[in-house]
Amino acid sequence: MSCSVVDVKAYFLGELEKRDKAQVESHLGACAECREELERLGVMRTALETLPEEEVPRRIAFVSDKVFEPRWWQAIWRSGPAMGFASAALLAAAILVHGFTRPPVTMVTERQVAAMDAAAINKHIDEEVAKRVEVIVAQQHQMFEASEKRHEERRQKDLAEFQQVMRYQNQQMNHWMVASNEQVVPRGAQ
Amino acid sequence: MIFREVEDRDLIAKARHGQVEAYNVLITRWEKRVFNYLYRLVGQREDALDLSQDVFLKAYQNLKKLEDPAKFAGWLFRIAHNEAYSLLRKNRPEGEITAELKTSEASGRLYPVELNLTVARALEKLTPDQREAVLLKVYQGFKFEEMAEILGCPISTIKSRLYTALDLLKQTLAPMDVEEA
Repeated sequence: MSCSVVDVKAYFLGELEKRDKAQVESHLGACAECREELERLGVMRTALETLPEEEVPRRIAFVSDKVFEPRWWQAIWRSGPAMGFASAALLAAAILVHGFTRPPVTMVTERQVAAMDAAAINKHIDEEVAKRVEVIVAQQHQMFEASEKRHEERRQKDLAEFQQVMRYQNQQMNHWMVASNEQVVPRGAQ
Repeated sequence: MIFREVEDRDLIAKARHGQVEAYNVLITRWEKRVFNYLYRLVGQREDALDLSQDVFLKAYQNLKKLEDPAKFAGWLFRIAHNEAYSLLRKNRPEGEITAELKTSEASGRLYPVELNLTVARALEKLTPDQREAVLLKVYQGFKFEEMAEILGCPISTIKSRLYTALDLLKQTLAPMDVEEA
């Protein structure tokens, strides 16, 4: 085996598999040049290892301060996934509620629209508009009737109160008239 | 009751649940190695210390992204490598990062005087890429595959850098006999 095929450095660095390692060792037994290469690498490593490790000038440590720890709602607020999930849940709930509470709408599909001619579409639109107007007019009529009824009830109530007040005033007037006649003509004088 | 050594994976699991003390224990296990790696790479103690703090802070913030706790060392040194090169890029124009450090500039600050000057000078003469390969392999004992993950380049590139560096270091630290040369 020639020296160019043998990776002495990988052997020296402990990077070879068992089989490759055995091959290099076999080659080293026969090649003085590679043995010297390995020896020099060893000397070099010994020299490198004379460089002592430095101590860390100041210890590195982190402190957990309760004051600065986020509260549970802040933690949730700052948590992207949690906020995303909450938003999605809220949106889903809103869609569900909307779906159940909204009155059903008559849908006209694209296929149905394509099948109609312009006149039919206009007729359909007019019918839909007429229906809608009819509904709105009926609603307004109902509202107007209800308003009229409320006003009539109020008017009747005010009238009854007015009549009651008038009766009370007449009674008062009668009392005052009787009292004044008694002062002018004493009862004993009659 | 069963006693066993607390492993890094235990500490990582606790730190992931916000136990800062567990993370501090993890730091004490790794800070010296990370600091020395950064110190020998960037050449200044204060820079190396600042970088070390940044590395451990980033590691804590991203601990949940670490998929396999068994690969914590490589992952940590990957962060350290990125931090170191961010500083080197900031301090020097892009083209000079891979260029050889000038000995005159580096010799005054790279290593304390009391250290082995021959070794220090030999390491200084390497490019940062070559020096980093030596630091990760010889001083930190990483495998080629781990180095490739840390440095983000193929194993062939790692081997090329390392072998060139070893040849250069060999010339200085283990010269051939004069007669043979």
